[in-house]
Amino acid sequence: MNIRQATADDLLAMQNCNIMNLPENYQMKYYFYHLLSWPQLSFVAEDHKGRIVGYVLAKMEEDREDEPPHGHITSLSVMRTYRRLGIAEKLMTQAQKNMVEVFKAQYVSLHVRKSNRAALHLYKDTLKFRIHEIEKEYYADKEDAYAMRKDLSQLKALT
Amino acid sequence: MRELPSKESALFKQILAKTLAMKGLFLNHMDKKEDAREFVRKGLRSDLKSHICWHVYGLLHRSDKNYGEALKCYTQALKIDKDNMQILQDYSLLQIQMRNYEAFNESRHHLLQLRPNNQRYWLGLAISYHLLENYETAERVLKIYEGTLKPGQTNYEHSEMLLYHNLIIDESGNTEAALEHLESIKDNVCDRRIWKEKRAQFLLKLNRLQEAEAAYEELINDNPDCYGYCEGLQIAKGINTSMCDNSIDDLTPECEEKIIDLYKDLAQKYPKSNAIKLFPLLYTTGDNFKMFVDEYTQAALRKGVPSLFVNLKKLYGDPQKEAIIEQLVEGYRECLKNNSTFTQPKNDDYVKEPPTAYLWTLYLLSQHYDNKRDTTKALMLIDEAIEHTPTLVELYMTKGRILKHGGNLNEAMKVMNEARELDLQDRFINSKCSKYMLRNDQTEEAEQTIGLFTRGDAPDPLTDLADMQCMWFVLEEGESYIRQKKWGKALKRFHQIEKHFSDITDDQFDFHTYCLRKVTIRAYLRHISTNKQSVNKIYIELYDNPNKVTIIEENEDYANMTEGEKKKLRSKANKAAHKKQKEDEERKAKEDVKKKVDKPQDDDPDGEKLLKTEDPLGEAFKFLLPLQELSPKRIETHLLGFEIYLRKKKYLLALRALLRAYNIDKENATLHNDIIRFHLAGNNHHYLQL
Repeated sequence: MNIRQATADDLLAMQNCNIMNLPENYQMKYYFYHLLSWPQLSFVAEDHKGRIVGYVLAKMEEDREDEPPHGHITSLSVMRTYRRLGIAEKLMTQAQKNMVEVFKAQYVSLHVRKSNRAALHLYKDTLKFRIHEIEKEYYADKEDAYAMRKDLSQLKALT
Repeated sequence: MRELPSKESALFKQILAKTLAMKGLFLNHMDKKEDAREFVRKGLRSDLKSHICWHVYGLLHRSDKNYGEALKCYTQALKIDKDNMQILQDYSLLQIQMRNYEAFNESRHHLLQLRPNNQRYWLGLAISYHLLENYETAERVLKIYEGTLKPGQTNYEHSEMLLYHNLIIDESGNTEAALEHLESIKDNVCDRRIWKEKRAQFLLKLNRLQEAEAAYEELINDNPDCYGYCEGLQIAKGINTSMCDNSIDDLTPECEEKIIDLYKDLAQKYPKSNAIKLFPLLYTTGDNFKMFVDEYTQAALRKGVPSLFVNLKKLYGDPQKEAIIEQLVEGYRECLKNNSTFTQPKNDDYVKEPPTAYLWTLYLLSQHYDNKRDTTKALMLIDEAIEHTPTLVELYMTKGRILKHGGNLNEAMKVMNEARELDLQDRFINSKCSKYMLRNDQTEEAEQTIGLFTRGDAPDPLTDLADMQCMWFVLEEGESYIRQKKWGKALKRFHQIEKHFSDITDDQFDFHTYCLRKVTIRAYLRHISTNKQSVNKIYIELYDNPNKVTIIEENEDYANMTEGEKKKLRSKANKAAHKKQKEDEERKAKEDVKKKVDKPQDDDPDGEKLLKTEDPLGEAFKFLLPLQELSPKRIETHLLGFEIYLRKKKYLLALRALLRAYNIDKENATLHNDIIRFHLAGNNHHYLQL
């Protein structure tokens, strides 16, 4: 699998991958917004035919004055048939590196549905995020979210 | 009321005109399109010399995605007030949206002249020259802009601007200068990765191979799974091959040797990289290949990687490699069954593989035989695997695929549903299952199934899918409706995709100014230059069967009617539509009072109106135009064109379409058929006979 930075050409395929795999979906405009604001933070995994089989869509939270600059994972997904290759981890590693290098992020955050055990396992055990707090009724259907975070200061020391 | 004196009267008229126009603009934002248009027109009629009225009328057209008309209105407005910043801004946005670079450049000039102190206008002008491929002037403008910046500031916007400057030099073709410039901005660039990528590319282009090699090694260290970096390193090391090139016959033994050394070395440094493991399989042959593929396959089976077959299949272009793989994996199956090892153990002291290794081997072999369309063998193997582990979703998915390939769509759908029921939390398997239902023309069931994952607060699953611009389901469903001969519904689905496409194109609008502010110009330029291609992909998907549109638009029942019958039907349809409209209006009025919802309702859920169009071929033609513009090199485009032109009796255009198709692929079977059809059509028109 080829892991590389996402470009405008990938967005339709990313959107398709998202709606095939995940219950949280977005209009194309939101993908545009991510790529045109922080082009360095979104990555894709493509197979040898150039089909997008996984992606990470990420952004920076820059405008809030009460918080230090930090990255946020909007969406991360790998097609079921392409699992067990460590693709999610590789996509995340790339996104996190650039969060620190380009935007001086101190940590990265994300939300996960309380009921989504598979995702919780991925973020907690594989990707080393920890639960920061529970956000009540975060989702449109009133489900609670785990707000998770991962410290990136160690990554910073390496660059 | 007494008449006002003429001066005051004129003034009053002007104010009235503006007020009417503004009211129209508000109404438009409230989604009351009809009323909006009426007020703006009224305003314009009261004062044809009002630039505001023309401007607003343009904005209205623009919001209806009617770019051509909007452009005319802005032009009128600018005739009246040529230095109006707001109108000029909107004018230039429209020009860039329509990719009219010459005109865009003129507007940007004008804007800069009016506001020479605003940095953003310098940047805008530079972009306009860049788009015209006038690199020299673009760079000159950008340098003036850079000169106005305070020295020493390193931030993201500045860094992006410097990298944009570098892109202009790069695209001008002067790699030497581009590299020099790149080195000079090193300390001010935050995007380290792209800086390193650019440097490696330049070094390679300039044939400074040793430095390029080091540069690519550093990049691989940053991301060992990037194909581009591996390819770069290969070229720097004098190994000339390309990833997309399937023929490795030209590879010399020395070259193969170099590749083996390179990837053995890299694999040691980056044991987790999949790309590094895959590359040697592409470029080795015979025993070398066997050694690599043996190791690769065993590791993946041990781990249980579901995508193993997809990766190996790439190698099947070479029948020898396919045979080697088959032989190896059949060997594994035998040994795993008897000894729980991949190969015959040499002594008694051996480590047993986990039981899942046997399972994944069965899985792999089953896919292998399915690929050879040996359905019986494939089914036998996958059934054994399912018996081994009846809870693994992937096995059922593969069984479904095999059945689909074998032509049993009903059974395939049932098995896919079993898979779905094994993991109700996973949307992927839900999507797959819905797709198989559509392939089996069970549209209602498919909608119910996909509805398990659409938003609960949406009125129905299809509305949520439409809101989220989901295309695959609608496309599959449209095709299913064609098979079911439900033309109206099919047409409805395809028109929805067309709408997504035009919405997405329109979404670009907001980013023209946004990116100028954010200075993410490189991403922006890529965005506007490639969006067309992405859009093209939708069209191709939509028309992969070139006759689809004509089939629907030329709905047989309708096409075979006489003019009289058609007229009757139309008037009947009109009456019905009129009645329905009235009812709808009444109902809507009531609902509005109740809920104050004024989102337009779908008054044609089954696509009946679309089907009863006065001019089906004209509708089809609308779909042909973008194809002709975006995919002139695809034979399907011209074959579709032929279908439409022939029916419209535009014989010259039909002939042109045939000639274009002929130039692309003269062996195409449909084309031959069409040539005969053209000939037959000609026989019925004596003036066409030579």
